[in-house]
Parts: sequence; C-alpha cells; structure tokens
Amino acid sequence: MIRNWFKVASAEGSGDARSLLRHWILPITVFCVALGIVGVLVAASGVIPIKASSGHWAITRWFLQFSKERSVATHTLGLKAPPLDDRSLILKGAGHYEIGCRPCHGSPELHHPRIAHSMEPVPPYLPDTVTRWKPEELFYMVKHGIKFTGMPAWPAQQRDDEVWAVVAFLLAFPELDAEEYQQLVKGASRTTQQHESLTALEPGTSTIVVESCAPCHGLGGNGRELAAFPRIAGQRAEYTAESLKAYARGDRHSGIMEPIAAGISSERIQQLAQYYEQQKPASPAAARDRTTSAIERGQTIAHEGIPDKDVPACVDCHGPGETPRNRNYPLLAGQYAEYLTLQLTLFQQHQRGGTAYSHLMLRVSAGLNQQQIDDVAQYYSSLSSPVAR
Amino acid sequence: MTHHLRELCRGIEPPSQRDSGAKRAEVALPGSAVALLPDGHSRIQSALNPAGVEAAGIENLFWWMVAGTTVVWLGVMALTWHSVRTHPESFNRRREAFIIVGCGAILPTVVLSILLVFGLSALPGLVAPAPSGSLKVVVSGEMWWWRVRYEPAEGQPIILANEIHLPVGEPVQFLLESDNVIHSFWIPSLAGKMDLIPGRTTRLAVTPTKTGLFRGVCAEYCGTSHALMKFDVVVEEKEEFNRWLAHQATPAAPPDNPLAQRGEKQFLANGCGACHTVRGTNAAGVVGPDLTHLGSRLSIAAASWPNDSAHLRRWIADSDKIKPGAYMPKFDMLRSDDVNAMAVYLKGLK
Repeated sequence: MIRNWFKVASAEGSGDARSLLRHWILPITVFCVALGIVGVLVAASGVIPIKASSGHWAITRWFLQFSKERSVATHTLGLKAPPLDDRSLILKGAGHYEIGCRPCHGSPELHHPRIAHSMEPVPPYLPDTVTRWKPEELFYMVKHGIKFTGMPAWPAQQRDDEVWAVVAFLLAFPELDAEEYQQLVKGASRTTQQHESLTALEPGTSTIVVESCAPCHGLGGNGRELAAFPRIAGQRAEYTAESLKAYARGDRHSGIMEPIAAGISSERIQQLAQYYEQQKPASPAAARDRTTSAIERGQTIAHEGIPDKDVPACVDCHGPGETPRNRNYPLLAGQYAEYLTLQLTLFQQHQRGGTAYSHLMLRVSAGLNQQQIDDVAQYYSSLSSPVAR
Repeated sequence: MTHHLRELCRGIEPPSQRDSGAKRAEVALPGSAVALLPDGHSRIQSALNPAGVEAAGIENLFWWMVAGTTVVWLGVMALTWHSVRTHPESFNRRREAFIIVGCGAILPTVVLSILLVFGLSALPGLVAPAPSGSLKVVVSGEMWWWRVRYEPAEGQPIILANEIHLPVGEPVQFLLESDNVIHSFWIPSLAGKMDLIPGRTTRLAVTPTKTGLFRGVCAEYCGTSHALMKFDVVVEEKEEFNRWLAHQATPAAPPDNPLAQRGEKQFLANGCGACHTVRGTNAAGVVGPDLTHLGSRLSIAAASWPNDSAHLRRWIADSDKIKPGAYMPKFDMLRSDDVNAMAVYLKGLK
C-alpha cells in the first residue's frame, strides 16, 4: 500500500508542484506529531538519565557550548565595557570572587574544588578560559548566569557596577600566582594578628569580623587603602546594623553584601556594628583628582544645599556639626569620595535601596548633577572622621 | 474674555448643591479645611461673593455679560419663532429683510460692541499696579504650596507660607514668581487670576473691601497635587494686620513643655532643618515652607488639612498619602512617640 502511495505521489509530483505539496502535508504532520508523542512517552518513562555523573554525549556538549557562545555573543552586541584596569575595581571584584565564585571556580591553590568538580558541566578554572571571552561577554555571563550549568545570576541585578568589578578581577586573574591571589582577596587580614578590641567580642562574632568583614573593610574598619570598600570605622552602629539587615532582606542592593549579611544573625550584626563603631577612623584618604576648588564647591552644597534645585543641605542629617542627629543617618566625614559618588549615583538611579530611611535620599539626589556629586563627595572625604555621636 | 467668564461661571451653582458639595468634601477628606469653617463661610471661594475692588469689578462685568448675552439670545429665539410661524402667503420681502438685517446683524453687533467696550474698559483697572508705597507681597508657586514673602517698606523681608493676611481697604501689590512650572494665583473673592510664569515676575493688585477669611487656589494645572495647592487669606483691620505681621517677623519662641522640647530635638536630629526654617533654631532650610509660626496658621499642607497635632502627626508620617507626589518625604520609620512630640512642637510654634 505504501509503495502504491509513493508511486502515486511521484506520478502526481512530476506534473504539479502544488498538488505534490498538498500530498505531503498530511504525512509530514502525522510524523511530527508522532515524534512529539514518542518524545513525551520516553521522557515520561523516566529512562533518560539526568545524572551529572555520566556527563553529556559529545554532540550534546558541543551543541550546548555552541548555543551558549552564540547567545552570549548576540546578547552583548552594542554593550561597551567601562575602563576596567582600575586597581580598586579589581580589589572589589577579588573580594567577592573569594566568597562567591571560588567555591566552584577555584583558586590558584586549588583549581577545581572537589564538590564543584563533580558538576556537569564542570565549572572551569577561569584563568584557563577568560581570555576566550570579551569583557562584555564576561559581564553578561556574570550578571545573568547560564541556564543548565549551575552558574547563578548576579544576586542584585541593579548593580552593574559590581558586576564590572568582578569582570575587572577576572581579567587580572590569569596574571596572579597563589601568593598574589591571597594578598588581593584578603589583604592584611590574613595575618590574623589579634586586634586588641577583637578579644572583647564573643568568639562567633570575632570570627565573622575576621572572615567576613575584615578581608574587605579591614579589622580596623578603614577599608583597603584604595577606595574599593567604604570605611566603616567609627560609623554609627545603628546605621551599620540597619544597613546589614537591609542587605540581608534584599532591600539594599548588592550582590557582594547581600549574601554575606544574610548569613549573619541579627544579634551578631548588632555586635559587629558596635565593634566597628568603636574602631578609630584613620586619617582621611586623599581622593583621586582632589582639588581645593572642588572641595570648596562641595562645602557650599553640603552646608547650604542647592535651593534652586530643591537640594537640601547635607549637614542637617550627616554632619559635621554640633547638633545631635538621628543615629540611623550615616556619618560621611572621611569617607572615600569614590564610594560617596557611587552611592549618590545609585540613589539617582533608584537602584541603591537601603534602610527604612533611604527614601529620604531619592529626591535629595535627584537635583544634583555629576559635578555636584563629585564636589560634595570630595568635600566629605576631605574632612577628618569625627567620633560617632 | 470668554476665558474669564468660564472661570467665573464655576462659582455659579445652586446653594443646595454647593452645600452638598461641601459635605461631600468633608466625607472624602475628613480633615478638609471646609470642615473647620462655621456655617455661612461656604462662600469663601466664590467670585460671586466679592470682597475686593477688583473682584467687584469682575462680578459687575459678569452680570453685564449675562444681561447682554441674554438680550442676544432672546433676539435669536424670537427670530426662530418668527421664521417657523411665517406662512408663505403672508411673506413680505421688505419686512423680512428688515428683521434679518436688524436682529441678525445690527442688534448683535451693537450689543456685543457695547459689551466689548465695557469689558475692555475694565481691563486697565485690573492690570494697573497698586499705588507706590503699597504693601508688597511676593508669592512664589512651589510644588505644591505657596511661598509668601512680605516686603515691608523698612526692615527685613518676612518669609512665610500658605497663608496671606491683608489689611482691609488698602491696595496690595502682589508680585508673582515661579521657578518650576506655571501656576496661577487666584483668590476668587478678591481679584481675578494671574499666572506665575517661570522666568518672569507677574503683578496683581488687590484692594480688599471686607474683612473675613477667604480661600485662594492654584488655578492652572501644575502637577499631581495641583488640587491640593491652596492657601488661606485673612483680611483684617489694619492694626490687627500690623500686629500679625510684627509677630510673624519674630523668631520662634523656645518650646515650654517637655514634650515639645523633645519634639524640637527630634525635629533637628532627623534633619527637618535641611528643608525647613524655624527662625531662632539651627533649622534654616529653604527648600520647603518656613515653619517658624506654623502653629498660628489656620491649616497645614497648603490649606489641605486642619492645623492640629493629630493632622500634623499624620502629615509627618504619611505625607505622600495626604498629598500625592509631595516633595516632603514620609517619616513613618520614626517612632510614633517621636512623631507625636514633633507634631506637638510644631503646633506650639504660635
């Protein structure tokens, strides 16, 4: 019968292409539907292995890799990387790499951590592969993650600046040996010399300070010399604690701080916030491109605001001044200018989030232009840090 | 001219309807300043209840316009009646031509010309500046409230907000400014409206003739809370006015009870002074309204709510619910007893 049908088909086909098409539509449709049904039945039977232990077929591996490369290339069309050869950006990315990425992607000491080595696909040791990608492509993968691989998306999609910091680190990663890597991700904190006030803390809290806070913010809370991390020494404990809780809730956006804060109990948060308030702020770090005229302009804005743009004065909440202020408002004197600029920019973009007080900054920041943000940040970074009141 | 008429007609509605409107407002906005007013004050915002030389001129013009247009309307109706009643056999070409030309062209032209001349003749009086030496009041339209600056002949300017006092029987020169969008300054009982245009200073002369409380509004859509951009106008005897202005010029008296003192501390600690001025304290912000004598005002939130500590408390904690889009951020994260102390402090700023 089937032979007959083919015969008829070829006889008709020689005469009329349209009737040939009509003749084939039904069998092709039936075939496709049947194929789909068979596929569902096979999946439903449970015989397809999803176990990671056996790996992919070579063709599956090739196809997934090919799809990934094409998707990343297409989705990064038109994306332009900012300058990434900035030491403080690398430092910031390194701090996160150690906590967020190393457990799967390894370090110079251990390229393939044992658990991650049993994943399918195996997370690559990145110094081996980063050079194959453009910075923009690395950005796309770090920000959005990759389906079916275990690579998660960036926890705070608002914070492209943090993703670029990780990319900056990844680009520098291949050059690092084990010693340099440790120095970069942990700084002086790995010398674990006991800071005298650490001993006053409960053991669990001092462990958190040493392992989670100090690598980036320092045991003394003065950051890492470069402007990568905000200075938290002498900061009002209420502000620090509420900020950590806001990170933990996801109300303040940061792919770096949210995972860390979410893992600390609120009692410990109170304790370490108080610990850092008691630390002595170091003398202020000079901002890059600091100029006297910028500081003077910033001083005017901080003390008088910009009435024409509905920008109120900063000092009425953030000091400096003799009036006692709400301790939920952060002190800004002696803070890194780069950090302050970033926060104001994030407020302007409604991407910062924060404590229950953070909405106060939305309209305040809206009236500032880029230069005014830089000026006011330079002014505050030029002040010596007061003792918190 | 028609623009003016349209605005003026808003004031015409039967008293019963107006009353129910006021009641509706009370229900919808329990704190509406309408609720504050004793009976008989429902006409505080009516162009048909003039209490000033300029408003009286406009009201006069309005009634002349009504009379004139009524004559024209009756003429047109009579013509219509005549045209449908006229039978072809009694048609008289000369008579019809006379009626058409007379009632259709000459009568309206004459009536409208008289009204035009009459209306135009009222203009110079309305746009003329107040005589030199008159009280000068600069009003700036903000979003969404009014910044009021009295400029006495001698002495410092006095910066206030959302409430204007005027001496009865004296011309006042308003100078109107805006640095954001176009607003329109309108006290229906005292004068016509005048736009506040960014980059320009417009003028409006007003001579109140009756004492009393009146309501001013923004009469040009200016954003989300335009409808809540109002102000109170108090016309009073000259001595009373002078006393009021002299008091407004003084700095705030320090709070005299522990709760208010705590409120002052909280007011300063939470940075309210970044936007608000309370003369006599460290609070010297100029972004928001001056609060030096807030407690003496008839209402809060640009005449949207009664001025008592309960409403002040709600305003501090929930400004955005009371006035959508308000630049004043809500402070609902503060402890409610701190907010209460602040409300008591502010109400005490008499």
